[in-house]
Amino acid sequence: MKRPWYNFLYVRAPILKIGLGIGALLLTIGLLLFLGVVEESRMEAQTANWDGRAIEKGAEIYANNCYNCHGMDGKGLPGVAPALHSNYFFTQRLADVGWSGSLKDYIALTVAAGRPSNVNMQWAQMMPTWSSRFGGPLRDDQVDAVTAYVLNWEKSALTQGTEDNPDPWQVFANAPTRAAAGAEGDAAEAVVAAEPAGPRQPQELFVSMGCGGCHNLDQPQAADNRGPVGPNMANLHESAGTHGEEAETYVHTSIVNPNAYVSEGYMAGIMPQNFAEKMSEEEINLMVAWLLDPNRVR
Amino acid sequence: MAVQPEIEKKSVVQTVLDVADDVFTRITAGIPAGEVRRMIRGEAPGRPNPRLKPHSEAFLLHIKPTYYHESVTKFTHTFRLGLLSTYLFFLETITGLILMIWYAPTPERAYVDMIRLLSNVPFGQFMRDMHRLGAELMVLIVTAHMVRTYLTGSYKAPRQFTWFTGVILLVLTLFLSFSGYLLPWDQLAFWAVTIGTSMAEAVPPAIVGETVNLLARGAPDIGANGLLRFYLLHVLFLPLILFLFFFVHYYKVVHFGISLPSDEEEVGQDTANKVPADRRVYFLPDVMIDEASFLIGFTAVMVFLTAFFFSAPLESIANPQSTPLHTVAPWYFYWLQGLLKIADKMIAGVILPGVLLVLLMAIPYLDRNPSRRARDRRVAIISGLVAGIVMVIWSWMGTPYYAVQGAPAVEVVQKLMPEEGAGHVRELGYANLPLGVYDTREHPVTENEEFNHILHQFEGHIVHFEEEDPSFNSPYGVLTVSQEQPSLKRLTWEIHWLSPEGVEDTFKRTFFLHENSLYWEQYGLRDFSFVRAAAEE
Repeated sequence: MKRPWYNFLYVRAPILKIGLGIGALLLTIGLLLFLGVVEESRMEAQTANWDGRAIEKGAEIYANNCYNCHGMDGKGLPGVAPALHSNYFFTQRLADVGWSGSLKDYIALTVAAGRPSNVNMQWAQMMPTWSSRFGGPLRDDQVDAVTAYVLNWEKSALTQGTEDNPDPWQVFANAPTRAAAGAEGDAAEAVVAAEPAGPRQPQELFVSMGCGGCHNLDQPQAADNRGPVGPNMANLHESAGTHGEEAETYVHTSIVNPNAYVSEGYMAGIMPQNFAEKMSEEEINLMVAWLLDPNRVR
Repeated sequence: MAVQPEIEKKSVVQTVLDVADDVFTRITAGIPAGEVRRMIRGEAPGRPNPRLKPHSEAFLLHIKPTYYHESVTKFTHTFRLGLLSTYLFFLETITGLILMIWYAPTPERAYVDMIRLLSNVPFGQFMRDMHRLGAELMVLIVTAHMVRTYLTGSYKAPRQFTWFTGVILLVLTLFLSFSGYLLPWDQLAFWAVTIGTSMAEAVPPAIVGETVNLLARGAPDIGANGLLRFYLLHVLFLPLILFLFFFVHYYKVVHFGISLPSDEEEVGQDTANKVPADRRVYFLPDVMIDEASFLIGFTAVMVFLTAFFFSAPLESIANPQSTPLHTVAPWYFYWLQGLLKIADKMIAGVILPGVLLVLLMAIPYLDRNPSRRARDRRVAIISGLVAGIVMVIWSWMGTPYYAVQGAPAVEVVQKLMPEEGAGHVRELGYANLPLGVYDTREHPVTENEEFNHILHQFEGHIVHFEEEDPSFNSPYGVLTVSQEQPSLKRLTWEIHWLSPEGVEDTFKRTFFLHENSLYWEQYGLRDFSFVRAAAEE
């Protein structure tokens, strides 16, 4: 009988089979012992790996949802949202709000449930609810991921406090902290009270009133390039006059009474309705002129 | 006392030895120690053969034949593929049962449990990798078993029904493997199973398809109910059915005997059960030694592969809102995916596979040629080979290389840093990505050789697509690596190009990479760098 080319696979002698079997058994045991020896460090590496991946996922969620208000590097925007990448936030915040849990729980809760607030606060928008458990868009694992991302600022936040690396934290204006209430009761009030004489410049107000949190000055508003929360403003001088009114009147009305005109696709009630109280008439008029200037200087 | 008279006749030592031998014989179900010694020495059994006793005494051996024809015990005749399939089924059951300890089939828990298994359970990753490797090997070996049976013509009379049950076992193996696919609840699982069950929807008439789909998913979309159903299919229903058909199949194998090599008997004859006394090879000890050493050897190979070359994948958590680019079926369904690309869902997903399956089952009833010899079966063997080649081509068509290329800019980034899985950049890792802005027009060179290689590939892919795609003109890419946070880098891939009308267009994709993240490919040398990292600490 002709032997096939793969005939070498046929082991005939029983003693050779037994030998191969014992050899294979020893090899298996050896491999398992090796895996057992490195198992501890493998588990540690895997733990670090999945923590790292959660931070990556959190970074993506932050870039898509949070950076508009809390800033690209988490240092907050004046008048829009507080800093998270802040020494104060990592070291003092829990004591000041009287939170007995961990910072992780505090962040996760704030992300998940949001922060209810009224319109008379220093922040342009309230913190929305993000968790799907409370009607938001994020799953539990996504809330955990974004929490991990925020916590990952700790290392660099703790180096803050020097002159060229200041703590970006902004004192909460109308919510005196525990520490402030005890020792220096009026410190927070004082910050608000210190108003400069004369009209403030629109460039400065655009930042301090938090307009920049939602309105982009450099991007034009177009069908394929819409501002995510509020319309972009690079081409405002062209589009403002298209609403059946003088451009100036339109912009002015939109500042003092934002719900008078709500651009299609945006929600009413998002933009604060108290700018008439926060700014003088003169300041608003300067702001309107500046916004409508095609060669706007920042 | 009953032992009293014996002690009078025999010495104490002899009595103890006799009792020990008695216990030994009970454990081996009828083989005394002396007989084991004679077996190992290779001595012939006495008459009547005392080595047959376990086949009648022991439950586990009663289904095994007492002896085989010498020719069918040759490894090169059957390659022991049937035995191997059975062994893998038991191996999957054992590893699967162990994995079940750390697993809860709910969308909230399943993926977290996977991470916990990988990072907090000693040998957890090993068990998972073994289970996954075993599943893929089982599909491979069951298929190889069928191919062997086909090529040696062993499905012919009287073994038609054995083949029929074998095809059912193959289908059950595929379903078992596929139903396990969903359980990790990652993107890979979720989308493969979404596509798989949507094929059931194409079963005509519409009411039947929709009902089947609804029954499998438990809701219009896969969710908590679908996961629970697939879990129960995977751990209970399908294994039970497979178990049943295994015994039907094996009973038929023993009943008719394993077919002899075709040139050892006349055409039309079947003498597998009429083994001449001088050609008998008894199960004890020869075949048992053979099978045991083979399975131990196979286990060693599997452990070796798992330890160094195979890691079960785990992608991001399932997200019904985002379909990943290039969703692929498991490799054993590539052929089906390939078919779906060229034909309608009803034809390619239901009718054609259905016809193929019926044809496969009907082969022994259609093939009237009585000869099992290769030279008499040219038509059968050539058509079998052609079918195999067609399967390979369809499978190739099922891979992302065929007909689903996205926009060039998307593909360039996908090649280097895919949405899911590892990719070159992630494998290179955090430490090897120097901060900076790298513009392909400037042919940037850094001090890091490996990173230069990535930049070179980036440039190469862009040039490649420029040549391939007429709507992708004078493109260039910019990769920006910046420090997002401590231990976290941001990679921004930007590709600019001109459309045929000369309008500039841009594609931008941002990824983040953490210092501690480890990404791995399913097949490839395992990364043991954590051992070095642990040693340095």
